[in-house]
Amino acid sequence: MTAPERPGTTGAAVQERAATRASSTFSDPGSDGYIRRTGRGLIISLYAALRAIRLYPLENEAVQNAVQDLADVAGALVEKEQELEIRVSGEFVFINTVRLRLDLDNYASFSQLLSLFRSSGIGSLHLHTRPQVKDWQRFLALVLVPSQDPPATRFHQLIGRLEQQGLTAFQLGEPNESANDDERAKSKEVAKKTYSQSVAVTKDLMTSVRMGRSPNIKKIKRVVQGIVDQLLNEETSLIGLTTIRDYDEYTFTHSVNVCIFSVALGKRLGFNKLQLYDLGMAALFHDIGKSRIPSEIINKAEGLNEDEWRLIAAHPWMGALALFQLRGQQELPYRAMVVAHEHHMKLDMTGYPRPIRPRTMSMFSKIVAVADGFDAATSRRSYQTTPLNPAQVMQEMRDNPRRGMDPVVVKAFINLTGIYPVGTLVVLDTFELGIVHAVNPIPEMLSRPIVRVISDAQGNLEHPGTLIDLAEQLEDGMYRRTIIKTENPERYGIRVGDYFL
Amino acid sequence: MRWEGISVLSEGSRGSDSLPWLFYKDGVRELRLMRGFETEELDKLLGIMQRVRKASPDEDDLLTLLWEGDFVFLRYRYVDLTLETAPVLTEGERTRSDQEEETEPEEELPTRAGVVNMSDFDGTLYFLDEREIEYLQTEVEREYRADLRQNVLSILLDIFEQQSTATVRDEVIELLDVLMVHMLSAAQFQNVAYLIRETQAVGLRASELAPAHAERLAQLPVRLSAPEAVSQLLQSLDESNAPPPAADLVQLFEQLRGPALATVLEWLSRLQNVKVRPMLEEAAARLASQNTADLVKLIGSSIPGVALEAAKRAGALKTAAAVGPLAKALSDGDVALRTAAVQALGEIGSPGALQSLERGLDDAERDVRVATVRALSTRNYRPVLPKLDAIVKGKALREANLGEKMAVFEAYGGMCGDDGVAALDAMLNGKSLFRREDAEVRACAAVALGRVNSPRAQDALRRAANEKDVIVRNAVNRALRGGSA
Repeated sequence: MTAPERPGTTGAAVQERAATRASSTFSDPGSDGYIRRTGRGLIISLYAALRAIRLYPLENEAVQNAVQDLADVAGALVEKEQELEIRVSGEFVFINTVRLRLDLDNYASFSQLLSLFRSSGIGSLHLHTRPQVKDWQRFLALVLVPSQDPPATRFHQLIGRLEQQGLTAFQLGEPNESANDDERAKSKEVAKKTYSQSVAVTKDLMTSVRMGRSPNIKKIKRVVQGIVDQLLNEETSLIGLTTIRDYDEYTFTHSVNVCIFSVALGKRLGFNKLQLYDLGMAALFHDIGKSRIPSEIINKAEGLNEDEWRLIAAHPWMGALALFQLRGQQELPYRAMVVAHEHHMKLDMTGYPRPIRPRTMSMFSKIVAVADGFDAATSRRSYQTTPLNPAQVMQEMRDNPRRGMDPVVVKAFINLTGIYPVGTLVVLDTFELGIVHAVNPIPEMLSRPIVRVISDAQGNLEHPGTLIDLAEQLEDGMYRRTIIKTENPERYGIRVGDYFL
Repeated sequence: MRWEGISVLSEGSRGSDSLPWLFYKDGVRELRLMRGFETEELDKLLGIMQRVRKASPDEDDLLTLLWEGDFVFLRYRYVDLTLETAPVLTEGERTRSDQEEETEPEEELPTRAGVVNMSDFDGTLYFLDEREIEYLQTEVEREYRADLRQNVLSILLDIFEQQSTATVRDEVIELLDVLMVHMLSAAQFQNVAYLIRETQAVGLRASELAPAHAERLAQLPVRLSAPEAVSQLLQSLDESNAPPPAADLVQLFEQLRGPALATVLEWLSRLQNVKVRPMLEEAAARLASQNTADLVKLIGSSIPGVALEAAKRAGALKTAAAVGPLAKALSDGDVALRTAAVQALGEIGSPGALQSLERGLDDAERDVRVATVRALSTRNYRPVLPKLDAIVKGKALREANLGEKMAVFEAYGGMCGDDGVAALDAMLNGKSLFRREDAEVRACAAVALGRVNSPRAQDALRRAANEKDVIVRNAVNRALRGGSA
C-alpha cells in the first residue's frame, strides 16, 4: 500500500512549490484565488497584445490599447505580489507558482502563450518592477521576431537583445529541464502503477459483468480518477503505456487505452476535471457489452462467420443494457450507457446500431469513437492479426469521411498525438530506428516529435535507447534527423510497449 | 486524531459520529490545510463530511468526494483501500502474442502504409480555430444540458423494437419498469410521460411482438395509474415547494388511465397546492370523460370527496348513465353530495333526471331544496307544477327564509301561467284580515306575477302599485318594469 497525496489536481513538484509559497513567500491570505483570477486576465491580455502586434503596426490604436491593458494587469500583479513570474512547464502555465486552469474560455490564449514560449526557448518571464507600456511594446515585438533558429539559440539571442535595448525589467529564464526530468521519472512510475491498476480493475469489471455480479464501482471510480490526475499532471507517460497493447488482455487494455486517449483528448479540448472524469468513466465502460458475448467468439483468432459478426456488432446496445447491472451508484451511469450505445455510430447516424428514434450523437461518444477507432486499428487483436500503422490510421481518420468521425475531434486527436502518434516506429534519415515518445511541445513541430532512438544505423538494437528531439537543428539550420518513413515494429521483432516501461 | 504529532482527539467507537473513524475508514490518513482554506473551502469540506457521515455503503466514499471537490487549499494523504496492488508492469513480459509471433507468417504492409507525405500536414492545420472552439463549447454545453434519462429511454425503446429475442425484450421491459419508478421519484415527469407514450407506440409498431410483451407494455400506464402510485405522486406534488414545470405535469397527467380517476378525484378535494390544482382539474376532466363507467360507479363511493367530485363531473359531462346513482346520492348522501347531485341532475336535464330531482323539493336541507327548485325552474320542468303549487300554497313555505320563498315563487311564476294568477293575486292583494299574507310572501307573489307577465298578471300587479309596505311596493314596481326581485 502506498500513501499518495492529492491536492486537487496538482503534481508533486507543484505541490512542493505551492507549499513553499504558502508558508513563506506570500502572506496574503487567499491570494491564490486572486492570482488565479488576475492571472487568467493577464494571459488573455498578453494574447490580445501579441495578436494586435502581429496584425497591426506598433503605433496603431488597437496595439496601444491592448498593450496598455496588458501593462495595467501585469502592473497590478507586480504591485500586489511584489513580483510577477509567468512560467510554462509541460502544458501548464504558472503565475507566481499558482497553476492556472485551462478551459474552453481561455484555450486559445493559453495555447498561444505556450507555443510562443516554447518556440522562443523561454521557460519563464520574471518581473520585479512595473514595466512601462513602451517597454512592453518593445519586448513583445522582440519576442515576435520570426526566426528559424532552434529554441535554445533563440533564447540566448533574446537575452542579448533585451540587454542591448536596456529592457532590464524583463528577466527571462530557461525551461527547468532537470526538474522536469525528475518529475518525468516519478510520473512514469506513477503512470505504470495507474495503468496496471486500471487494467486489473477493468478485468475485474468485465469479469463481474460476465458472471452476472455487481462490480465494485468505487474501484472503477478510483482508477478513472487516477487516470485523470495522471493525465492532468503529465500525459506522456500514460499515453506511452497505451502502446503495450497486450494481445491476451486486449479487451481490458483496450478499454483502459480508450479511457486514457479519451481523457487526454478531452483535456486537449478544454474539458474541466469533473468533465474529464465523466468522460473517463464513459470511455472505460464503452466495450462493456462485450462481456455479454461468449469469450470464444471474442477471442476467436480465425475469421468470424456472419452470426458471430452480428453478435460482435451487438456489443454497443448490449453495453447499454449491461450498465444497468452496475449497482452501488447514487445514479445509474446514464452517460456511459449513451456512449456504450453510440460509440460505433457515425456522425450521419449510420454505423451500428442504427437508431430508430431521432438522436444527436453525444460529444462524449464522438471522442470515444475516435479513441476507440485509433486504439483498435493499431492493436493486434483476435480478428485483426496485423495492426495498422498508427500514422496511417490517423491519416485515414482525418481523410476518409466515410469513417464518420467528427473532424474537429480528429483534428484535436492529431494535435494530441502528433502526426506520428506515440508508439510509432519510424525510420530516420540517419537510418536509425526510433519510437515516437511524445508529440513535440512546439506546435509548429508536429511532424518532428520527440523520438527514442533504439537502433544504430546498422540496425543494432539499443535498450533503452536515447531520447532525441527531431526539432533539433545543426548549425547550418538543417535538421539533425528527419523521419523518412514509418515501419511495422513486428517486422523488426520490436515490442514497442517495452520502451515505455 | 493527531495535530502536529500531538493526540488531540481520541474516540474509541467506530460509529458515524466518530470524527477520526470517518476519515480513517475511507483511507484518509492526513489532512493539510493551506492558508486560504478557512475562507474558501472549509464549508465544502464540512459538507462532504456530513454527506459521508450519512452515506450508505453504496454511495461515494470520502476519497471520491474529496477528489470531486477539487480542493486547492486542502491536501490529503491516503491509503487506497479499494485498489488491490496490481502487478507492476515489467519489461519483456512474454505474452501469447510473442509466442504466436514466432509461428505466424509476417505480413508485409502495403508500400503506401508507412510513408507519410509531409505536404499533407501543415503544422498550423491542427490547431483549433475560433469557430471550432465555439463548436466545442456549444457541444459540451449541449452535452451537459441534454436529458440523459430520455436519451437512455430512447435507446432502450430502440433496442426493444430492433431485437425480437424474448429475453432481450423481457430485460428491456423490466428496465423500463425500474426507470419509470426512478424517474417518478426524481420528479422527471416529462420522461415518464415520454416512456408511456413511446411504449404504447411501440406496442402498436414493434414486429413479432409476443402477446405477453404487448400486455406488459400496456400495463405500464396502468401501473402508473394505480391508486397508490397516483396518491404518492399527488402527495409529493402537494408538499413540494417548487412544483415541476406545468408542461411536464400536463404531459404526465395525460398518461394517467382510468384506475387513476378515483385517486385524482379524491385529491381534488384535498389538494392545497394552487399551482398544481388547475392541471389536476384538467386531468380529472379528461379522465372522467374517457372513463364514464368508472365515473358513474364513483358517485357511489364511500369516500365523500370522491363521490362529490364524481357527481360534479357526471353533471358537467351530462352523463345519462349517472342519473340512477345521482338519485341515490340525493337520497343518501350528505348535504354537499345531495347539493352536487341536484346540480348534476339539473345539468343532465333528461326527463328521468328531472323526475329524480323532484325528491329534492322535500329535502330536509334548505340549500338542497333551493338548488332543486332552481334546477327545475331552469329546465322549466312543468310536471313538477302541482307540487310547486302545493308548496306555494302550503304552510311550510311561510316558515322558510326569504331566499327559499323567492326561489320557489320564481319557479312557480315561470311555470304556472294564467292558471296561477288568481292564487298569486290573492296572496298579493287579498284584504281579508285573517288571510292577509305577510310582506315577504306578498313580495314573492309580486315577483311570481312578474314572471307570468300576462295581462291578468299585470293587472294584479298594478292594483298593488300603491302598496304602503315598502318591500311589497318595490317588488311590485320591479315586476311591472320586468325586473326580478
